Amino acid sequence: MRYLIEHETVLEYPQTVREHHIELRLAPRSDGHQRVLSCVIETEPAAELASYTDYFGNRVDYFCVIQPHSRLVTRLRSEVETLKENPFDFEAVPPAEECEWLAKAVRHMPSWNDFVLHRSLLTPTAMKLAEAVSCAFPRQDRERPLLDALMDLLAWVPTVLEYRSGTTEVHGALTAAVLQGSGVCQDFAHLFITVARSWGIPARYVMGYLDPGVSEAGAAMATHAWAEALVPGAGWVGFDATHNLLANDHYVAVAVGRDSYDAAPQRGSFKGESAGEQPSVTVMMQEQ
Amino acid sequence: MYNSGTQGNKPRTPYHEFYADDFTPRDHYRLLWDHIKATGNNALEAKAHESQLALQAEGVTFTVYGESEEGIERIWPFDLIPRIITAAEWVKIESGLKQRVRALNLFLADLYGEQRIIKDGVIPAELIYQGRDFRREIVGIVPPRGIYTHVSGIDIIRDEQGEFLILEDNLRTPSGVSYMIENRVIERRIMPEFFSKYRVRRVEHYPSLLLAALRALSPRGKEAADIVLLTPGIYNSAYFEHTFLAKEMGVELAEGRDMVVINDIVYLKTTTGLQRIDVIYRRIDDDFLDPLVFRSDSSLGIAGLINAWRAGNVAIVNAPGSGIADDKAVYPYVPDIIRYYLGQQPILNNVPTYQMTNVTDREYVFDNMERMVIKAVSESGGYGMLMGPSSTAALRKEFVDLVLENPRNYIAQPVVYLSRHVCYMDGELEARHLDLRPYVIYGDDIEVVPGGLTRVALRKGSLVVNSSQGGGSKDTWVLAE
Repeated sequence: MRYLIEHETVLEYPQTVREHHIELRLAPRSDGHQRVLSCVIETEPAAELASYTDYFGNRVDYFCVIQPHSRLVTRLRSEVETLKENPFDFEAVPPAEECEWLAKAVRHMPSWNDFVLHRSLLTPTAMKLAEAVSCAFPRQDRERPLLDALMDLLAWVPTVLEYRSGTTEVHGALTAAVLQGSGVCQDFAHLFITVARSWGIPARYVMGYLDPGVSEAGAAMATHAWAEALVPGAGWVGFDATHNLLANDHYVAVAVGRDSYDAAPQRGSFKGESAGEQPSVTVMMQEQ
Repeated sequence: MYNSGTQGNKPRTPYHEFYADDFTPRDHYRLLWDHIKATGNNALEAKAHESQLALQAEGVTFTVYGESEEGIERIWPFDLIPRIITAAEWVKIESGLKQRVRALNLFLADLYGEQRIIKDGVIPAELIYQGRDFRREIVGIVPPRGIYTHVSGIDIIRDEQGEFLILEDNLRTPSGVSYMIENRVIERRIMPEFFSKYRVRRVEHYPSLLLAALRALSPRGKEAADIVLLTPGIYNSAYFEHTFLAKEMGVELAEGRDMVVINDIVYLKTTTGLQRIDVIYRRIDDDFLDPLVFRSDSSLGIAGLINAWRAGNVAIVNAPGSGIADDKAVYPYVPDIIRYYLGQQPILNNVPTYQMTNVTDREYVFDNMERMVIKAVSESGGYGMLMGPSSTAALRKEFVDLVLENPRNYIAQPVVYLSRHVCYMDGELEARHLDLRPYVIYGDDIEVVPGGLTRVALRKGSLVVNSSQGGGSKDTWVLAE
């Protein structure tokens, strides 16, 4: 599939701010599953952009606006071709060899230890979470293929959480969402990740976009979030717990991280009297 | 690492630096002792008083933080009787420290690069990835000349047999070097006659050594090196030292709010406009260095600094991320780190250390808490520590809970009875425990300043020497051949 994506963020301040530094994780990833055909980022006021690749492999574009300003706009326009039609299309590893396959993969990539070991308010220890969840966690049975267990987990998450936009904060604690029984896509992804990690399976957070034809009817177009787990034989496979779907070519991945904080699309620091205002974000995704 | 098991039963008499076993002064103290005997107690009393006045007049102070948030500024406590290290002893300390600092810098370059040491299974990945001071934000950045710890202050103690052991590596923003210099200045002024009897190596050139190392890092070349010392401000316990070093080196003392990054270039705001800065000797922790990438609520740092560093436009001393190498849970692995990168046996040994993540170690420590020191891995200055012998049952219980809650956050060591030395205390010469913190500068080569800060536990019998916990100090002499 080919998509055109536009993502605009407007920050407005009641009093002027200055020495404003911004980091953006907005440029879609280029990997085996998707190709970036074009990517342009503009800012208002105009600024000189520079970029680097962060620890998680995300492209970061950054800039600064030094002069006093009360409005700051960033605009991304990107064309992406997605290639992953069938996420089940891989050569499976026999269940008895899956543990060894994962251990070897992590040994070669020590940084993937983060996706097993990391705990935060967003992805707490399973024990902390268990105190909040009234029903039993799905279990991983070593006799069955790991993918089956992950599919069960994918189906289990929506039995704990109901999708309701605006009910939780973007970087809100996962236990709060679970206690109230509802949340947004970040919470769904974090819950999936938390349980997968408790099994010792590397799992990470993905921020990106989902074809509006697939997402919740009537939901305002915004960034989406899902999880990726390391599946023996396949590598990183996307699990969208909000929709109980495996990520395919309707998904455009932008940034990955241990949790939503690592993959936040925009992060900034400024001087001035204004408190951090909520940004106003407009996203457009169009099949071409 | 395990105790031999018999160590706990041996009579444990601390090593005495000054007296040999027959209570006569050791050879290298004899001249000093003869002089003290000849002049008598009254002269010492007068000198002690004089040194107090001098420290007061010079404003040599440090800040103690207690229960209340506000620190209390105190005059630096100084003992007249110098600690003397022989040339032969120093050869071993110096070579051991150079070896250690070299290995730890290779370790840091590897951790933030290829991670060979993890892939080869020498260091468990969990240890690094669960370490609070492993900074993912700087992975892949190669600092100027591959050096991370330009300044290290490594704590050395002497065990009951007189062997020098490494107690702690301080690789972040080690403090105390100004007191090393002030102690020497005072000692020379008050006790000039002592110096006529010994050939004592100089320490006063430390600021010029540091300045040379800083200049050499300038991305614009050392001829055009504009340097600042970045301080958290007047409330920091080491603020005296920040002003001292800035003045001695002739560099600007700045706070984060005095600086700005514009398109990857760091500037100091001056009355005549922006001045480009090439090297930052920072005395603030990683957490507060850059609110854009580290703690976003920090107002002490400079937004955009890490990106400027990545772009190669500024040098940061010590490099961000160095703290993972002095994490106390990494410390037990330093001998392996030395063997791995240098293919050498460690010249200076570690203190035996128990890892609380290891169940056997942990049970042993819980059964023997009165003989243990338990330390939080990311704390320093004697904070977050349990001193077994002087602890209460309630405090021990509290530490058991703390350890069980987060084992990775604690280590334990058998209490080492630090060596003792005579100190002039209220008219009497009394024995007190002490340690040694020499300073190591990694510039063109690794250089250990011959001397260091000798810290003294002022309370009788106490083993806690940290200045923040009421420790005192001595001038430290390293003798020339």
